[in-house]
Amino acid sequence: MADTTVEKTNATGAAGAAWRGHGAARRSTHTLRLRVSAALVAVTALAVLLVPPLVQLDQQAVDLSAKLLPPGWSHPFGTDDVGRDLLLRCVYGLRVSLLVGVVAALTATVIGTAVGATAGALGGWVDRAVMRLVDTVSSVPHLLLGIFIVAMFRPGVWPVVVSVALTHWLSTARIVRAEVLSLRSRPYIDAAVSGGASRWRVAVRHLLPGVLPQAGLAAVLMIPHAMWHESALSFLGLGLPTHTASLGTLIQGARGSLLAGQWWPTLFPGLFLIIPTLAIAGLAGVWRERINPRRRSELML
Amino acid sequence: MTVPPWGAMARLVARRALLAVPVLLVVTFGVFAIAAASPFDPVKAYAGTAALGADQETLDRLRENLGVDRPFAERWWEWLTSAAGGDFGQSSVMRQPVAEVIGERLVWSALLCAVAFAVAVLLGTVLGVLAARRPGSPLDRAVTSLAYALEAAPVFWIALLAIWLFALKLDVLPAGGLTDTGSEHVTAGQLLSHLVLPAGVLAVSQLPWFTLYVRQGVGDALAEDPVRGARARGLSERTVLLGHALRSGLLPVLTLIGSRVPELITGALLVESVFSWPGIAAATVEAATAVDFPLLAALTTLATAAVLAGNLLADLLYGLTDPRVKLSEM
Amino acid sequence: MTTRRIRGAAVAAAMAGAVAACSAPGGGGTDGGAPADSVVIGVASEPDTLSPLLGYGKDGNSKIFDGLLARDADQELKPALAKALPEVGDGGRSYTYTLREGVNFSDGEPLTADDVVFTYRTVLDDKTNNTAKSELDAIKEVRADGDDKVVFTLKYPYAAFAARTVLPIVPEHIAGKQDPNTGSFNTEPVGTGPYVLTDWSKGEKLTFKANPDYWGGAPKVKKLTMAIIADDDVRATRLRSGDLDGAVLPPNLAATFKNDDGRKTYRATTYDFRAVTLPTGNPVTGDTAIRRALDLAVDREAMVDKILDGAGRPAYGPLPLDDPWFAQDVERARDLGEAERVLDEAGWKPGKDGVRAKDGRRASFTLYYPSGDKVRQDHALAYASDAKKAGIEVKVESATWEVIEPRMKHDAVLAGFGSTGDPDFGLYTLLHSSLAGDGFNNMARYDNPDVDRALDTGRRSQDPEDRKAAYDDLQRALVKDPGYTFLTHIDHMYVLADRWDGLTTQTEPHEHGFASGPWWNVEDWQPKK
Repeated sequence: MADTTVEKTNATGAAGAAWRGHGAARRSTHTLRLRVSAALVAVTALAVLLVPPLVQLDQQAVDLSAKLLPPGWSHPFGTDDVGRDLLLRCVYGLRVSLLVGVVAALTATVIGTAVGATAGALGGWVDRAVMRLVDTVSSVPHLLLGIFIVAMFRPGVWPVVVSVALTHWLSTARIVRAEVLSLRSRPYIDAAVSGGASRWRVAVRHLLPGVLPQAGLAAVLMIPHAMWHESALSFLGLGLPTHTASLGTLIQGARGSLLAGQWWPTLFPGLFLIIPTLAIAGLAGVWRERINPRRRSELML
Repeated sequence: MTVPPWGAMARLVARRALLAVPVLLVVTFGVFAIAAASPFDPVKAYAGTAALGADQETLDRLRENLGVDRPFAERWWEWLTSAAGGDFGQSSVMRQPVAEVIGERLVWSALLCAVAFAVAVLLGTVLGVLAARRPGSPLDRAVTSLAYALEAAPVFWIALLAIWLFALKLDVLPAGGLTDTGSEHVTAGQLLSHLVLPAGVLAVSQLPWFTLYVRQGVGDALAEDPVRGARARGLSERTVLLGHALRSGLLPVLTLIGSRVPELITGALLVESVFSWPGIAAATVEAATAVDFPLLAALTTLATAAVLAGNLLADLLYGLTDPRVKLSEM
Repeated sequence: MTTRRIRGAAVAAAMAGAVAACSAPGGGGTDGGAPADSVVIGVASEPDTLSPLLGYGKDGNSKIFDGLLARDADQELKPALAKALPEVGDGGRSYTYTLREGVNFSDGEPLTADDVVFTYRTVLDDKTNNTAKSELDAIKEVRADGDDKVVFTLKYPYAAFAARTVLPIVPEHIAGKQDPNTGSFNTEPVGTGPYVLTDWSKGEKLTFKANPDYWGGAPKVKKLTMAIIADDDVRATRLRSGDLDGAVLPPNLAATFKNDDGRKTYRATTYDFRAVTLPTGNPVTGDTAIRRALDLAVDREAMVDKILDGAGRPAYGPLPLDDPWFAQDVERARDLGEAERVLDEAGWKPGKDGVRAKDGRRASFTLYYPSGDKVRQDHALAYASDAKKAGIEVKVESATWEVIEPRMKHDAVLAGFGSTGDPDFGLYTLLHSSLAGDGFNNMARYDNPDVDRALDTGRRSQDPEDRKAAYDDLQRALVKDPGYTFLTHIDHMYVLADRWDGLTTQTEPHEHGFASGPWWNVEDWQPKK
């Protein structure tokens, strides 16, 4: 599927082939998956960038006479329970959700990586102090912290992004710090240090690339999570108005019609959430393989 | 196997226990401060739907009786001093003493979370190792895509699907509650069968992080020199995988154990409400949105303890699995 | 790519399969042989407390308790703990109740007049956190007269007072020793009612057993379980699997049980209306022409059919169509042309952007609905779409009540209310100008002298004829100056296994759960032969 493990796409492929007999055929499916992921991400990006300027959506317009029409020619995804076209709302929803998901996930990952790498690289009392701080923040109930942050601003997309980002960097920080601690004891770091490299240079050239794959994984997993967070905050009345299309609110709002036999209002937004996630995961998988210094070190052998 | 560094471990535990006191003080104070700035009105939360028909006099009287307008620092100090004496106060939103709220429900939440967490960690490790063994194989692709899809899919889809399949179609498992709806006493057998679906769904919702991090960690370890060396020496695949790769590949998982506790509580919230599980997760949201200070403070203390214990456990296991990590530096 | 397609298809198939199977009737089968002396009911939420001192069961049907009076299936008052309906004296200022003899609480202690006095005095105490205290505002004094008589003295003649005395009575010898706000009586109640609480597992279920010594005769249904299942889909699935005997369901899910032989669907009409408040203080919503045009332009029938899936009735005023107090001649059809004519006449001329304007002021206002409430959200959106057709712009916003409350003076709100018992209960607080903006009373700050006069007459007059005439006048005055656009009355749907005879539903208030549905009188159910 879209994800991943487009293992050893370039020169590393040779090593892989030697070890497990990955043949040329496998490599071509890897490339195919990479291309499919890239194409899907591109389509998603184009859709959310181009469709809204071209087709206007009145967020509060309803048409009760067109209630719950199944997918068909005039409405490819059908209509929801107040007669709104689902395809258009899915695209608009994807735009909002992707914005929240990607920006929040990236921000959270950058903060988490910076904090974790600093703590791990400096060690000693700085490390201890920072990690106890992380413990403290993660002990405050998640929801409460999120509510507090959103409540400080006027409701809208950006407070939600800030709220999600500021409550979700903690896992990343711990993971990155653990990885740095482990990397610090590796021979190649010792070699770099004894070779006279500065602390900064060691951190940026050797430690950071080592932790990026872990941080990247966290970032990808955070994207759909952040999208769900947005809808939770919206339902509490702290995010976007709940009649504004976002994937989370579309799916939640359609819960009621699911068991009554109308599957399309919840399925399509669900797929809109899952498929881009898989595509992004696929691309990120390739990227992680490429930057992984451990895999790279094989080449130097 | 080397002898575990008991002394260093004991010292670490003692140091963390000492540090827990200031952390708890800061966290509870912070929670009082944040809650005081909350956009939610405790009086409306107390009155529920009745508030929406209430006159101003009623709302004012409740505000006065509940004492919600006093400064939060004063309320925090009051809570702290009485909690130190063993009195955790009264929960206004539950109309019960806080100790009673927690006593009634905590054990069920703890059971649910512990089982789900154990299943998620074990299953995640197994799936992650299987996936990492042959990167790029159909199994690997299936496991990783499934993990991402699970992270993205709405949890209620999974819960509904599970209820529909196991409770309605196969009719093998009960769909909710702690015991059969007709029965009055909690028995071990009933509890076990009622635990399967909620714990399963909660475990599945927590699975992606563990699976993907094990896969990443083990995958990296398999490509590293010591493992390649072991393979070159002709050690069996099993020994290489379990003895070398898994050991260092598990490091990120150990880290996750501590930091996923808050997410676990959030996940438990949905699962408890869907499966009518009489746990405490629902109370945490109610306490937060109702700005119920005593309940909020007690629950936060518990959550803090869980997070600190989880992280301590992670660090201890760390020291055990990776001899290069010095416990004295943690 | 191929894997993606397969998995996508698999997910789709799994979901679609689930749906198809679930909408097929009788999926899990009903246990036809289940005993008729026990019943398990799925409800959406549990009460905050089981103590009447804090408001539990204030409208009757509390299972565990009885009031001095009770209501029958037609909402008529009948004696319960009182031997007979009260004697009204002093021009409607004094109500005297004589207690039924030989009534005991479930712990064996006898009921006395002191218990009644204790209950009312505690509810009226400022220190008791009862949210519905103001409903008993008319009481000046309550006292015991001997062991079996209770006398209420009122501040003013109040025709509807007897309907308030369905308030459940608690035992002084238990509740009197506790703090009413946090004491254990909240979770371990003792009453005189047909059922006794055996266990309350918070968030899971409440179990009751029949009170064998009930003064009204031991109930045939010996065991009653209320399972708390917040999710509608899960409740429907558990009902289908036979785990529940009955449940409250949204109309679209209740409809999936229509062809089920073993189960019957019940539909309870209600006083539960949805309306848009049109604040008097806002120059647009305070304008009578705008109010009338909105009232004419909304398509109430479409809202009932589409938003409520047919389970509701158009609201032509605060009282539902089937209420005996409803004024028949206020029923009116949607008339967009008339709405436009009213606006044209009043000088609201169509502008360039399709929105009308008068003296440079655009016919535009903001409508808030509480976020998370799907039904109100849909009503608000449909209302805005209808208003747009008449040239009035309604900007829909969602927010928490904390945000909405300070804005109620200027912005419209999608409100929902509805009290049973007496027209005075719901209408006085909704419409009387003296209560304008008092908390959540009269949210629109409606001010109409004709309406005020009718409300006062209805409250004080003891003559049913005069009261009926007053409330008829009120409803007509509301059509002339509709300060609220009443949209729909919402019906509540219940599905229940068909094992008992003679089940009915009452007309229900805004809040529903335990006390409503066909199980409002579970103590009177007779097993089917």
